[in-house]
Amino acid sequence: MAGPMEQFAIKPLIPIEVGGVDISFTNSSLFMMLAVLVSTLVLGLCLTKRTLVPNVAQSFPESIYEFIGGLIKENVGAEGLKYFSFIFCVFLFIAFGNLLGLFPYSFTFTSHLTAVGTLSLLALMLNIFVGIKKKKWGWLRTFLPKGIPAVMSVLIIPIEIVSFLSKPFSLSVRLAANMTVGHVMLKIIAGFVVGLGAFGFVPLVFDALIVCFEMFISLLQAFIYTVLTCIYLSDAMHEH
Amino acid sequence: MPQLDFSVFPSQFFWLVINFGLMLFIMSKFIIPKTAEMINLRKEKIDGDLQKATEIKKQVEETIEKYNKALKNANSKASISLQKTKDELNETINRRQSDISAKLSAEIEAGEQKIAQSKAKALQKVEEVSVELAVDILKKLGFGGINVKDAKNALTNLKKEQL
Repeated sequence: MAGPMEQFAIKPLIPIEVGGVDISFTNSSLFMMLAVLVSTLVLGLCLTKRTLVPNVAQSFPESIYEFIGGLIKENVGAEGLKYFSFIFCVFLFIAFGNLLGLFPYSFTFTSHLTAVGTLSLLALMLNIFVGIKKKKWGWLRTFLPKGIPAVMSVLIIPIEIVSFLSKPFSLSVRLAANMTVGHVMLKIIAGFVVGLGAFGFVPLVFDALIVCFEMFISLLQAFIYTVLTCIYLSDAMHEH
Repeated sequence: MPQLDFSVFPSQFFWLVINFGLMLFIMSKFIIPKTAEMINLRKEKIDGDLQKATEIKKQVEETIEKYNKALKNANSKASISLQKTKDELNETINRRQSDISAKLSAEIEAGEQKIAQSKAKALQKVEEVSVELAVDILKKLGFGGINVKDAKNALTNLKKEQL
């Protein structure tokens, strides 16, 4: 039987190499694409019949829209609404990536530090872009808060730089670790279903419950990731 | 642990950027505007309805105020006209009363004059009858020389003396 970590193995589906760099289309890439397609399809279908008094399907994307809008207003302020699309996509991309990963034989790209790290890198780039756009040279103050004596700056600046860069790192690790652990647990308990023979139904029920729990975790982690992205954006926009 | 295999990083990076970029494009061009459109329309409609309701309420209040004002005007006009009619009636009554009393007093005076005239006439008649009676009595007593004219003169003289 396959080990619990084998489900995370990245397998190239279409090998592509550009200038010696391997950018093959892998199972991870496929599920990223599926997350985009499924989320677009689900939301697109929900929005086919739009009415002034929302129907059940229509209220789904509207709820997400208002939820993200509220999140941004609460954590960044009304000016953060300029980056609504980015935050909206971050939430949906992760939520759908997590949820799609729960299907048997599927792949959870959000459990990979390299994938989530890239997303965090994008968030970091947005953070820097917004910060520089808004504060110009004052953005460098992020690494040396006001009121710090010049002598201390030697110590403070490296600490602030590490702190600044560790934010997206912690963001990625939190999500990837949560997803990995959930799936490992599912796999191990699923192994018991076969191993225990006639009593296999006990871990099966347990596994089913864990799947439900994981669905909740999937949305919760997407929410946490989105909130933290909002907070980083807020740091870039406001003095701290 | 496959998660720590950083050799796949370029592929992961490339495809995530592509897919996330694609999602950002689709969402911001189609899904988000479509969702926002309905939400904004609904908000506008609710706000519009609320504004309409406020306007109607204002109109109703204005109408009520106008009605009250008109009612007040009508009341004051009615009381003025009532007072005027009352005054006119009083004046008419007074005038008629004085007319009637003047007429009555004139009639009373005329009646009194008539009575006085009749009285004077009657007294004169009594005098004449008395004189004639006195002459007749004197004649029967044997004083035939005295006529009515003498008797009258004697009476006039007597009256003068008495005065």
